[in-house]
Amino acid sequence: MKNFFRKVAFGLGPNEKVPSDPLKWAKDQLNDVPEFSWKGQILPEKKLRNYYRDYVYGDRKVLRKKFKNDKEGYKREKNKLRHATGQKFWWNLELCIRYSEALKSETPVLAKLWYFWGNHFAISEKDFLAQYTTGAYQREIIRANMNQNFEKMAQEATIGWSMIHHLDNEQNIGPKSQEAKWAREKGKKKGVNENHARELLELHTVSPDCGYTQEDVIQMAYIMSGWRPKWGRKRLETGDVHFNPDAHEPGTKIVLGKKYKRGIKSLSVAITDLVNHPSCRKFVAMKLCRYLITDNPTKEMMEPIIKAWEKSDGFLPEVHKAAIEVAFNYSEKYNKFQNPENWLLQMSKMADVDLIPSPSFMDLYKLGNKPIKDQRALERLMDELGQHPYLAKQPNGWSDISEDWMSPELLIRRLVYAREAYYKKSGKSQTTEFYEEMIEKNYDNPGEILKIINQHKELVHKHVILFNLPETLKS
Amino acid sequence: MKISRRNFLKGSATTLFLAGFNFPVLANTDKKKNLVVIMLRGGMDGLCAVPIIGDKNFEKRRKDLILDETIKLNSDFALHPKLKNFYNLWQNNIGAIVHATNIPYTKRSHFDGQNLMETGGHIPYSIKTGWLGRGMKLAELKGDGLALALPMPLLLRGIPSNDNFYPSKKRLPRTELLQLLKSVYTDKSEHDLANMMEIIANRSMMNNGDTSMSRKNSSLAYKAGLELKKINGPRVAVFEVDGFDTHAAQGGVNGSHSDSLIEMDSIFKNLEKGLGSEIKNTLVLTLTEFGRTIKQNGGRGTEHGYGSAIFMAGGLLKKSQVYTDWPGLKRKELFEGRDLNSTIDARSTYASAMSTVFDIDFKRIQKEVFWGDELINLSDKLFKS
Repeated sequence: MKNFFRKVAFGLGPNEKVPSDPLKWAKDQLNDVPEFSWKGQILPEKKLRNYYRDYVYGDRKVLRKKFKNDKEGYKREKNKLRHATGQKFWWNLELCIRYSEALKSETPVLAKLWYFWGNHFAISEKDFLAQYTTGAYQREIIRANMNQNFEKMAQEATIGWSMIHHLDNEQNIGPKSQEAKWAREKGKKKGVNENHARELLELHTVSPDCGYTQEDVIQMAYIMSGWRPKWGRKRLETGDVHFNPDAHEPGTKIVLGKKYKRGIKSLSVAITDLVNHPSCRKFVAMKLCRYLITDNPTKEMMEPIIKAWEKSDGFLPEVHKAAIEVAFNYSEKYNKFQNPENWLLQMSKMADVDLIPSPSFMDLYKLGNKPIKDQRALERLMDELGQHPYLAKQPNGWSDISEDWMSPELLIRRLVYAREAYYKKSGKSQTTEFYEEMIEKNYDNPGEILKIINQHKELVHKHVILFNLPETLKS
Repeated sequence: MKISRRNFLKGSATTLFLAGFNFPVLANTDKKKNLVVIMLRGGMDGLCAVPIIGDKNFEKRRKDLILDETIKLNSDFALHPKLKNFYNLWQNNIGAIVHATNIPYTKRSHFDGQNLMETGGHIPYSIKTGWLGRGMKLAELKGDGLALALPMPLLLRGIPSNDNFYPSKKRLPRTELLQLLKSVYTDKSEHDLANMMEIIANRSMMNNGDTSMSRKNSSLAYKAGLELKKINGPRVAVFEVDGFDTHAAQGGVNGSHSDSLIEMDSIFKNLEKGLGSEIKNTLVLTLTEFGRTIKQNGGRGTEHGYGSAIFMAGGLLKKSQVYTDWPGLKRKELFEGRDLNSTIDARSTYASAMSTVFDIDFKRIQKEVFWGDELINLSDKLFKS
C-alpha cells in the first residue's frame, strides 16, 4: 500500500507522517490550484516572451546584419545578447518553481498530475521556447486550469502562443483566403499547414482511435487558419495570438461529419465538439492510467475515469480523483516503472536531498550576467538524466511506456546521480537512523530492504542501492 | 529525365524470372559482417536529398526549394550538395540509393509512422519489438546490438542484452555494488534490469574516467566504427538523427533540412573512419517514417508525405546505383495527388539487407520477421552475396 504515496506523488518526506486515510489525503489535494510554493520571483509568460522577442529580434535583425563579415564578432555579441535576455537562466528558475511543487508544497499529488498535463499538451524542443516560455506556459495555461474543465485547458492550450508557434500554425493560411489571393497577385503561393490541426486531433483530443481521415485534418487546418501571433516589425513572431480573418479560409468546413461556418468562432466550437467526443475521454483515461498504473491499462481501470468525466462534464478535479482512486485500488497489483524525473523527485523527497537552489540564491541573478554554475544545476541534471521536461523530442511529449526508459545508459544515469544526490544531503540526514525511519515509512517490506542495503557499510552505497532497487524504480 | 516506369519493369521481370531458379546460396560465415541503421526522424525529404533531374513537374511545384549546384549522380538523379562524404562513398562504389520507397504507411502522423518504421508492422503501437531486433533474434545475435542513444530504440527490441552508448560524464559505482544490484534483480525476476546491469558491470567500451567524450553523432559514429571493427564487438548499430520535420524554412542548401542531412553525412564519414578496412564487411542503411510532399507549403517548407529514399553505404553493396521503380511526378502519378509514390516496400530492402548480413535465407526473414508480408528479395540487385 505504501507504494501508493510514490505512485501518485513522490513518497513521504522526513517531516511527514503516514496519512491514516491515504485516499482522502490524495483526493484533498485536487480541489484547488493553490499559489506556488516557490518564494522567489515568478515572471509572467508575457514578460518572458518579451525577452524571447528581444533575443530573436536582436539576433536576426541586428547582429546578423551588423556582423555579416565578422564571424568572431558575431559570436561574441550573440553571447552577450543571450545573457542580456536571460537565455541560460529563466528555464532554471522555472525548474525551481516546478520542483518546489513536488518537494515543498502541500499538494504533491497535484504536482504529479501537473507534469502529466504539461506532457499531454507538450511543447517540444523548438527554437528557444524551452529557455524562455515553456515553463511559464505550463504554469499559466496548464496548471492554472487544473481546477477547470478539460475543455477550458484544451481551448487555452490550443490558442496559447507557445502551442501556435510550436506547431507552425502561423504558417497555416487558407488557400482561398484574402492573403493567399494577395500572395498570388505577387506571384507567390500560400497555403495550409496541417501540423497543428493534426496534433490537436491526434495528441490533444480524440486520438487516431476515433478514425478521422486526412480530409478531416485538412478541414481542421482550414478552421484553424488565421490563428497566429500578431505580427510586428519589432516583435516578429512573438506577438499575442489573435485571429486574422485575412488568412482564414472562407466557406463551411466539415470535421468528423460536423459542419463549421467560417470565422473566429469556429475553432472554439470545433474544440468543444472534439473534447465531447467519446474518443477524447477514453483517450485521456487511458493515458492517465498508463501514467499512474501500468503500460497496458485495462477497460476496468479506464471505466471509472470515463464515468467521472461524463458525470462532471470533464471537470478535471473529478477526473483526477477518479484516476487516483483507480490507482489506489490497483496499487497492490501493479507497479509502474517511474520516469527519470519522477524518480529523481521521489529520491529527493524521501531522502531529503537538497535538489532545488534557494529562492534567495536564484534571485541573486542579474540580467546581463552569466548565471553561476549552481544556478544552472537543474537544467543540466535533467538533461543528463535523459528527461528535461521542456525538451521532449516531439510534440507527443515524453513517453510513459516503461521500456522507453530502459537502457544501460539510462540505468547508469540513475546509479551515478543517486550517488551525486547523496552528497547534496544535509549532515543530519546522512545517518543510519534517518534511512531506517525513511524506509519504514515508505516501503511495505522495510525488513527485506534493510537486509539488502546493509550488505554495504558506507551510507552512500546504501543510498545508491536503495534508489536503484526494483521497489524504488517501480511504484 | 530519361527514366520511365516501363523500362524498369522490363528489366526487373527478367531478373525476377531468373531469381526463381536460384537456390539460396548462403555466404561463408567466417567473416564478421555488420549492419548499421541510421534512423532519420521527422520525415526525410527524398526529393530534396536526391532530386530528379530535368522534371518539369518537380521544378514547377518546388520553385523556392530547388537546390543549385547539386551533384549529378547519373542521367536521372542528383545529390544534395552538402552530402559530400556520401558522394565520396558513391565514387568508391560503396554508396547507393533506393528511391521512391517507403514503409507501407500512408497516414502522415510522425508518431504512428516512426512506430511503424521501427516495428515494421501495419497497426501503430500494436507490435512491441523492432524488425531489427527480431531479425537479430532469428540470427541468434544476443548481446550484439549497440544503440548510440540514451534510450534504447524500439527498432532493437526483441532480443535481450543490447548495449547502448551515450557517454555519461561521471564515474560508475564500484563493481561489488553493481553485482549486488544484479543479484537482487535476478532474485526478484526483474530480467530486463538484470540484463542491463550485467552489461554495465562488464562494459569494456568506455573508460569511466574519460569525461571529455562527446555525444555528437559524428563522434559516436567514430566510436561505434571502432567497436564494430572488433571481431568480438557488436554486429549491429543504430543511430538517431532528428529534425527532418521541416514544415517551415526548409530552405535550400543552408536550410534546416540540410542541417539534418549534414549530420547524417557525418555519420557515414566517421563510421568509415572508425571501421577502416572493415567497411568492406559492413552495410549502412537509413530509415525514415515518410517522405515529404512534392509541393512546397506557404512557409517554404513541406508537409508530411509518403515516398522517400534510403541511403546505403558499405562494401557489401553490389555497386553504386540509384535503384528505383520511378513512379513519375505527374499529378496522376502522385500518391493522393500530392506525394512521390512508394513503389518499393522499404521493408524489402531491410529484409534483403538482414539476409545478406546475417546470412539467413530471405524467406525465413520474410516469414518470421515480417509475418510473411509480400516483400521482394532485392539481395541480388543491391548487395553482394
